[in-house]
Amino acid sequence: MSMLSRIADNLFWLHRYMERADGLILTVRNTYILSFDIDLYGTQGYKPLLQAYTIANDALIHDLEKDVPRLLQYVICDGTKTNSMKSLIGKARENARGSQDKITKELWEQVNSMYHYLQHEDMDSRLVEPYALGSLDFLQQQSLLYNGIVDSTMPRGIGWSFMNIGKYIERCLQTVNLTDCYFGAIEYRMDGPEDLLYWRRLLLSLSGYELYLKNNRGNAHSRQILAQVITNKDFPRSVLYSLLRMEKYLEDVTNDNPLREVVALQKQFGRLRSLVEYTDVSMLNDATLDELLQSIRKQTWDFSAALSKVFFSYT
Amino acid sequence: MAYLDSLPSFSGWDEMFTYEGVRERYTRVFDMLRGLPVEVLNQKDRQAADFFMNQGITFTVYADNKGIERIFPFDIIPRIITGIEWQHISDGIKQRLKALNLFLNDIYGEQNIIKDGIIPAKLIATCPHFLKEVVGIKVPHNIYIHISGIDLIRGADGVFYVLEDNLRTPSGVSYMLENREVTKRIFPEMLANNKVRMVNSYPLELNNILAALSPREVEQPNVVLLTPGTYNSAYYEHTFLARQMGIALVEGRDLVVDNHKVYMKTTLGLQQVDVVYRRIDDEYIDPLVFNPKSVLGVPGIMSAYRKGNVALVNAVGNGVADDKAVYAFVPDMIKYYLNEDPILPNVPTFRMEDEDQREHVLANLETMVVKETNQSGGYGMIMGNKATEEQLELARTSILENPRNYIAQPIIQLSTVPCLIDGKLSSRHVDLRPYALCGPNGIEIVPGGLTRVALSEGSLVVNSSQGGGSKDTWVID
Repeated sequence: MSMLSRIADNLFWLHRYMERADGLILTVRNTYILSFDIDLYGTQGYKPLLQAYTIANDALIHDLEKDVPRLLQYVICDGTKTNSMKSLIGKARENARGSQDKITKELWEQVNSMYHYLQHEDMDSRLVEPYALGSLDFLQQQSLLYNGIVDSTMPRGIGWSFMNIGKYIERCLQTVNLTDCYFGAIEYRMDGPEDLLYWRRLLLSLSGYELYLKNNRGNAHSRQILAQVITNKDFPRSVLYSLLRMEKYLEDVTNDNPLREVVALQKQFGRLRSLVEYTDVSMLNDATLDELLQSIRKQTWDFSAALSKVFFSYT
Repeated sequence: MAYLDSLPSFSGWDEMFTYEGVRERYTRVFDMLRGLPVEVLNQKDRQAADFFMNQGITFTVYADNKGIERIFPFDIIPRIITGIEWQHISDGIKQRLKALNLFLNDIYGEQNIIKDGIIPAKLIATCPHFLKEVVGIKVPHNIYIHISGIDLIRGADGVFYVLEDNLRTPSGVSYMLENREVTKRIFPEMLANNKVRMVNSYPLELNNILAALSPREVEQPNVVLLTPGTYNSAYYEHTFLARQMGIALVEGRDLVVDNHKVYMKTTLGLQQVDVVYRRIDDEYIDPLVFNPKSVLGVPGIMSAYRKGNVALVNAVGNGVADDKAVYAFVPDMIKYYLNEDPILPNVPTFRMEDEDQREHVLANLETMVVKETNQSGGYGMIMGNKATEEQLELARTSILENPRNYIAQPIIQLSTVPCLIDGKLSSRHVDLRPYALCGPNGIEIVPGGLTRVALSEGSLVVNSSQGGGSKDTWVID
């Protein structure tokens, strides 16, 4: 089966932007709820959220942390900021519009209704209490609903595969970025004194807190958490899980594909997967962890660019 | 109910009421409306608006550097046509399309209609939509007009007249289909009780016609719909039709011509395209032949068309047949090609090139509607009875400067249908655009069409670009 290159590109970015929006709202909501507890443990507050999901500089991050309504407005509904939820859903919708004949009606209507919700003229006031938490809940539920709709209505096939490659590239990068924010703040110390209250925010932002509690005992949190977010094959937001999903969908789009460039693309992906799969977390130290995270990020970006070049070059 | 305590006032022909009461075709609808509180009707009105908004059936209005999405207004009260009336309309449109198609074959071929003195050569030569580039091209099955939307109006005498022919890329068919879908949701019982003829066979019929035009004899020809892109006001319709037919929706940049064949760029490389249902005007379809600045079209597609390697739907060059000055000659064409009298009459039309007709119009400008011959969508139109002195003077000067560019018609009081406006039923003027499909097996017209409504009180301008809305259109037996 083939597909117009432009449509494949649209589907890739539709799902990638929606995945970014999903990660953003998950992180915003959890951080917002945790912020009601006074921070006695140096847990960094909103800083990782702003570092991982926005382009705010240190001075702005400092200002926004002191003004939560403004911060929510900045990350959710400031249409002039490229990574606000409103912009992300707007871009997802543009891609959905461009591929409207290849997505299901249910999917289109869901993206469209999220778009109209965020475009509403009262959106700013919905992000101030007593409405703010309700609005964040609503947006997170809509994002979950989107993922359910995609899963239960979209036909499997080449479009589905490109969508999912986009989604898992995004997920891989999000996990690396958020992990980097938390480890960077403690200078990549692998055996430091940080307790679970420090790491809870990272885990909640990746929906991995309960899994962590079930699987781990003892106080070696940094290393255990790293093992979960990087190499745990059963944790759906781990880097390795994301790469294994990408591998499956990459196989689907490269099988029987006569384009010569696909072999090089497969090899490039193989190198990335091996880097993560054969990482031994117990051997990492503060220098090699930093290097590992940088390498995964760089190789994922490069793979994404190469994929675009092979399949989406239509202009 | 309060909103029906006093019936809407109207002059001329109303589709629901006579001066004596409710027309028979509307009795079931009227009884049902009478049983519903106005709050329920208003709620159904909002439900319909949400349906359109959530589906993205919108257009964008730009103000203060912000794009605001609006829906095309939909009025929930249906417009009803009887089966007998429909038969008459359908016969008339088929007859007209046969003649227009023969005209296009003739005008891009032997030009006998000119040689026999039926149509002046100058009229064709000065028509900007007559394209020398397509003279002599053999179109599949001799069909030029595969898809058409003929605009009809009903006058105060109850007679249907043809207002204009749309033979290039008529739009609005998705509204016809979606209007029915929303009616199913808001008035399911009313729809079922009235035994309304089905409209949703349209995409299937269109798909069959498109596939039948493939130059390659392959089991599954590659049919695509070519759109100008997401910023086009009819983009929703393009996606709707592509989805309903299961064909690829392509933009110009997705296609490439190589060795007089058209290909689309896919994830598996290039794939040949057989039929292009194009929603791009002639002028923009091929920058190598027509407008060189066009970035919407496909360079070289006309060479593939000329070689017969790709079918274009509608054919290129149809604009000469729906030019507003050529329109005046359609009854003569029907007589000339078919030796029949027109079943559906034209609105009386004055050609400004004719000195006597021009003088008559200039002397009675305030009772005329003046139209530019190469415009559509309600642009370039002046209603004499509503225009200011300055506008009338401008029209007068423009006509005298370039008479070929204008026609005039007496202002016809379009029929009315009650609409739900501010919680009350009020009469508004309507027209009717049935959609006809013409393939190797003949002409099919989906029973109904798009009823467009002039939503401002007293207005006769129904175009969506000028603030018009639409209604579901029922043909009942």
